[in-house]
Amino acid sequence: MAKTTQEKLDEKAEKLYYKKHKKRYRYTAGDIVFSILNYTFFIVFTLCCVFPFYYLFINTISDNELVSRAAINFIPRGIHFENYANLFHAGEVGQAFLVSISRTVIGTTLMVAASALAGYLVTKQNMWHRKFWYRFLVVTMYFNAGTIPWYLNMSMLGLTNNFLAYIIPGIVAPYNIILVKTYVESIPAELEESAFMDGAGYFTIFRRIILPLCKPILATIAIFGAVGHWNSFTDSLILMQNAPELFTLQHRLYLYLNTTSNLGALFEGGASSVSEGVIQSALNSKVIKYTISMVSIIPILLVYPFMQRYFEKGIMLGAVKG
Amino acid sequence: MSNTKTGAGKTADYLYYVVRIATLVMVVIAFFPQLNPAKICEFVNKNMSLFTSGVSYGGLTKECGRAFRQGWIQESSFRLLFASSMISCIGIALAVVNGCMSIGNVKFKRLGNWFGIAGTVLELGGMAGIYNAYTQVAATDHPDRVIPSLPAFQMGLFLTLAVLVLVCTVVIQLLLPKARPEDQYEMESKYKLFLMFMPFAALAFVFSYLPLYGWRYAFYNYESGGTLSRDNFVGFQWFTMLFENAATRQDIVRVLRNTLAMSGLGIATSWCAMAFAIFLSEIKNSHVRRFVQTFTTIPNFISWVLVYAIAFAIFSTDGFLSGIMQNMGVWDAGRNLLQDPSHMWLKMLAWGMWKGIGWSAIIYIAGISGIDQQLYEAATVDGAGRFQKMWHITVPGLIPTYMVMLLMSIAGILSNGMDQYMVFENAMNTDTITVLDLYVYKLGIVGGAIPLSTMIGMVKSLISVVLLFAANSISKLLRGESIV
Repeated sequence: MAKTTQEKLDEKAEKLYYKKHKKRYRYTAGDIVFSILNYTFFIVFTLCCVFPFYYLFINTISDNELVSRAAINFIPRGIHFENYANLFHAGEVGQAFLVSISRTVIGTTLMVAASALAGYLVTKQNMWHRKFWYRFLVVTMYFNAGTIPWYLNMSMLGLTNNFLAYIIPGIVAPYNIILVKTYVESIPAELEESAFMDGAGYFTIFRRIILPLCKPILATIAIFGAVGHWNSFTDSLILMQNAPELFTLQHRLYLYLNTTSNLGALFEGGASSVSEGVIQSALNSKVIKYTISMVSIIPILLVYPFMQRYFEKGIMLGAVKG
Repeated sequence: MSNTKTGAGKTADYLYYVVRIATLVMVVIAFFPQLNPAKICEFVNKNMSLFTSGVSYGGLTKECGRAFRQGWIQESSFRLLFASSMISCIGIALAVVNGCMSIGNVKFKRLGNWFGIAGTVLELGGMAGIYNAYTQVAATDHPDRVIPSLPAFQMGLFLTLAVLVLVCTVVIQLLLPKARPEDQYEMESKYKLFLMFMPFAALAFVFSYLPLYGWRYAFYNYESGGTLSRDNFVGFQWFTMLFENAATRQDIVRVLRNTLAMSGLGIATSWCAMAFAIFLSEIKNSHVRRFVQTFTTIPNFISWVLVYAIAFAIFSTDGFLSGIMQNMGVWDAGRNLLQDPSHMWLKMLAWGMWKGIGWSAIIYIAGISGIDQQLYEAATVDGAGRFQKMWHITVPGLIPTYMVMLLMSIAGILSNGMDQYMVFENAMNTDTITVLDLYVYKLGIVGGAIPLSTMIGMVKSLISVVLLFAANSISKLLRGESIV
């Protein structure tokens, strides 16, 4: 996590403070009990947060026979990665994966571009009725018509059973526009003014000056936007009722988790295990469910380290209102 | 706007208002299925607007498969219909370009007018094409199946507007002074900025404001696939039905109880995130602190479906817990705890906390680092213990943030989303897990009771807005600051 100079200074002062006081400060019995309890609580809670992911993972890479007997609890045995390879033999899953990836990439790109431009424009005091248009955007965060009118509206616009339904409604994200606006306002106005004097137009200023300076905030909204796209499930559920080829990975996973029928049939390529009968198929169902879950989680875990840098920025800026 | 406000210039300005408004109306027509001039027979879906007819040939001919095979209608007629719709759409787009350019200088205006004239001519051509397609379709041998009908009102409206725009544009072009050769294309910067912003405003309008128009379904006796007309207008019948029909009333009471109970539990335990942050900051080893913070935040970023996948891996019949219990000999067979309907509210609270507490704590951790360290030092000198410092310094320092969060969650008490409850719902626990959002979804999307579910959603939205305003006024009263 990147630290500002102020944070570094604070930390140094803190260390110095404790070094100075350590000699004088004696830990009482109460302090020790408190610390033990405190550490125990947080370690246990952290384990609760981490262990399920680990458990899922070791079950997808262990010997399928052992997994079926629920024998893999803490340590993986008979490690192999065929489950992941097999998964993509099932056309449905590969298709859903593609849909999720494409909506995440396209949707996020467009959302970030739109938020950047719109966020910049609403900082311009001389825009025609700027206040009104800004409020026009912001108000949409605080009310919604409800699920059914939204659905009826989408179907009126021809956005049911249509891939564009994942992309277009997400382009204008008022919250992200506010974040960009707040950020742009913190950029010294002189930069822009001097470019303006040199005869640059609004679009040139935006592209050459504002966009490069806004990278941190754009990265923040990009990452949060991408996670939102990857995780979204309700829009696939409601809007794609007659287009199973457009289901997102999350939607597929939901359907699989709720099915008790034989998922082993999905493995067209892994026929050897299917032929061995009902028990074998049931086992595959479980492994398939775990593997798809893992496939859905892995992208999040991959971007997570990058996200962390932007956590506080994202959540703190949110507290600043427009 | 013109350089010299002569009489002719003024007339042109007035005519421009007519042009702009008419263009806007045409754009609206292009997106409203009820106003589609291309609905020439039964096989054009009534959910198709002029725009969708002009961009999606597959959508336009979706219901025509049988008609084409049986030879009731020629496919060429539909190709003509599609091409004509597309031409009309292009015409509308050009007219919009004219509308945008009309706020520039004379040079801009004169160029824009050519766009406008070209656009309206295309529109008229498109309408002629649609009429031609209609005459072809009307010549069918099976009028009982095809039911050709000329959308006279829609076409008339569209033609009127197109002719109006055309005439006005031509007149304006004649009235406007010639641009001087040295003139550049120029536009006042306030309009330029607005034009750049307009697409975003349009999107926000279409996806956030336009759904409000769907509230009208709540006042009609509408069935999926039907139409809204004066005949099935029922006024507030669905609203009164919420209270008068015993079965519905029971449902609503049950669903409201679940909603309020689970939101209420969430609000009652919302201080936990603050406590989490305070106790976490008591851990002096910064590596451990960072480790805990990193890993307790992960669950916030996975979807509820994945949370359910995890619940499934741990608590289902052949999951982790059953495996352990069987190995230890406590249980004879695996149990599916997810099917167990007891204590549903508390379980949902627990999952919500597992997913959210690490993330919610971040804002308080940031708050703690903002508290003046001298306060703690002074308290230490005065002999305050660990808990006294927490209670008298840290907590008061975080209360303002907490109040904002609390008020926001009170404003959103009816909207606890449906993802979580949807994924955990099953036949056993549906009575205690169904919240308002999930109920509306099941009633409207799954059950097809559009008017009733719209009515419930509408009442919910209105109450939420009132609650938000109330929360905001309370915040203003207490803190002198608004939260929205």
